[in-house]
Amino acid sequence: MIIKANVKEALKSLVTAKQRTILALIGIVIGIGSVIGMVSIGTIVQNEALKQFRDMGIDIVSVTKDYERQGSDEGFSMDHVYGLPGYSPLIKKVSPYIVSGAQYSYAGRDLYIELMGVDESFFDLNKLYIREGRLLSDLDRNRFFCVIGAEAADMLQKAGIKEIIGGQFLFGERIYTVIGILKSLPEGGGMRPSGINRGVITHITTAMRAFTANTITTFMARVDTQDSKAAKTIIEDYFSKRTSGLRVRVRTAEELIAQMQKQMQLFTLLLGAIGSIALIVGGIGVMNVMLISVTERRKEIGIRRALGAQRSDIEAQFIIESVTLCFVGGIIGIILGIIISYVFSHFSKWEFLISQSAIVLGFCVATAVGVFFGYYPARSASRLDPAAALRE
Amino acid sequence: MLRLTDIHKSYHVGPTTVDVLRGISFTVEKGELLSIIGPSGSGKSTLMNILGLLEQPSSGTYSVEDTKITYDDDRTLSSLRNKMIGFVFQQYNLLPRLTAIDNVGLPLIYRGMSEKEITERSMEYIKKVEMEERSRHKPTELSGGQQQRIAIARALAGSPSLILADEPTGALDTHTGQEIMNLFKRLNEEEGITIVVITHDPKIAAQCRRKVELRDGIITG
Repeated sequence: MIIKANVKEALKSLVTAKQRTILALIGIVIGIGSVIGMVSIGTIVQNEALKQFRDMGIDIVSVTKDYERQGSDEGFSMDHVYGLPGYSPLIKKVSPYIVSGAQYSYAGRDLYIELMGVDESFFDLNKLYIREGRLLSDLDRNRFFCVIGAEAADMLQKAGIKEIIGGQFLFGERIYTVIGILKSLPEGGGMRPSGINRGVITHITTAMRAFTANTITTFMARVDTQDSKAAKTIIEDYFSKRTSGLRVRVRTAEELIAQMQKQMQLFTLLLGAIGSIALIVGGIGVMNVMLISVTERRKEIGIRRALGAQRSDIEAQFIIESVTLCFVGGIIGIILGIIISYVFSHFSKWEFLISQSAIVLGFCVATAVGVFFGYYPARSASRLDPAAALRE
Repeated sequence: MLRLTDIHKSYHVGPTTVDVLRGISFTVEKGELLSIIGPSGSGKSTLMNILGLLEQPSSGTYSVEDTKITYDDDRTLSSLRNKMIGFVFQQYNLLPRLTAIDNVGLPLIYRGMSEKEITERSMEYIKKVEMEERSRHKPTELSGGQQQRIAIARALAGSPSLILADEPTGALDTHTGQEIMNLFKRLNEEEGITIVVITHDPKIAAQCRRKVELRDGIITG
């Protein structure tokens, strides 16, 4: 009952002192808004980064030649790479590939493209799907056929070429026949080699003959998910035994996810910290408003005490007033935070997420700020000498 | 009902000490209509604050219903003020944000009564002071006499056994002041409520059955 009456009272008193209330509200709104906005943006970024792994599965590892420990030009030999699944049952599938940049010139315009040489399983491991035409298969060995990425296809279309599939194009130093166009992929992160959207993808055997840089420095593999650590050791052992000391670096999806999550946590923490500073400033604003309110209402406090209010009643009244203020600010702030993160996801074209934990956090933090910054003013109100307060 | 024995009260103002009350002893019996009269600066208001448990005397003892007040527990004092004493002030001291009826219900909130009960009871006392038509008005929309009636209803709402009125007619014209005095007299006679009126006006004091005269912090008659 007392609480209900107090909340009513608090609302009335806040409405009466409009200007001051609005100023204090703005502080809290910005504080809570930035905390919620920042945490939500962190969640959106994290979700986007992890999406790639959800698409491809976490049983993929990427193996690269360790340049730091090995300066030679030697790369992986095809025989060694394809020998791996026979060596251990933990390695299910391997797919070596070569990447080389190139220009594509058409009607006096230069477009940068990514030339890639891959084998058939590359499409499966990377979850690449065809939009038009057909995929490359291992039957296309040594033939100058290629599939191109969605963005590359769009560039060609913009350049005015209508019939892309079946067309012959000069990519790098060779002429290739386009047999298919891939579906568009989300950009960035994950295990997938970058640049597939802009890519011209031919069979690896063709690439070995045609590309200027034709050493295999990377391959992907699908491993037994139960034990990606063991698979990692097996791959390392395999190459140190079979070759003249070729060192490799194996990155598992798990490692990458863990690393990414660590970064994201740091990122979210940083954003949260920035928001918290705004919140502290807002809280000090609330405290200021409450202190003024207490000073202005000394007489009221005296009257209430004369009518029988305990110290704790007065304390509760002012804490409830400050919590009410922060709570209202919190609600508006949460809405603001959601709008901020929506705008962010809209412009970054990333999937919009409302982080429920951020909303709960927002309400808790708003209440905590109200109690924390309301406590001192409320306490000083409750300690006023009733007779002195009445004389005002 | 109330017993003061050798009450002293002094204030420290910087290095000097001001003795406001210098040995006050008297009793108030149940059902009395008593006035405390004295010029300004005689210590009337301090005496009223002590009677109303708003201030602690520097020395001496104060007993209420044969129980000595110890002043060591704020809860007990607040609770006594809430249940036993009703205050009426010269400046009415209504809360400007609240309507008349909400002002009347104020002491009841601190008893943890339900909203419905508070409204019913407040209305009952508003009727007693003949203010039911103005119960939803804010204090600023009421005349001085009307505000004082609401203040009296507020003092009565907690059904106290004692009403302490500090210059209750001080801010009112003679006619309205007389109406307020009549109301006190009626409450005293009909309900048997003990009323202590503090005033500087001999005409007001003359209407009370007993008179305590205060001058320079001591009782002179």
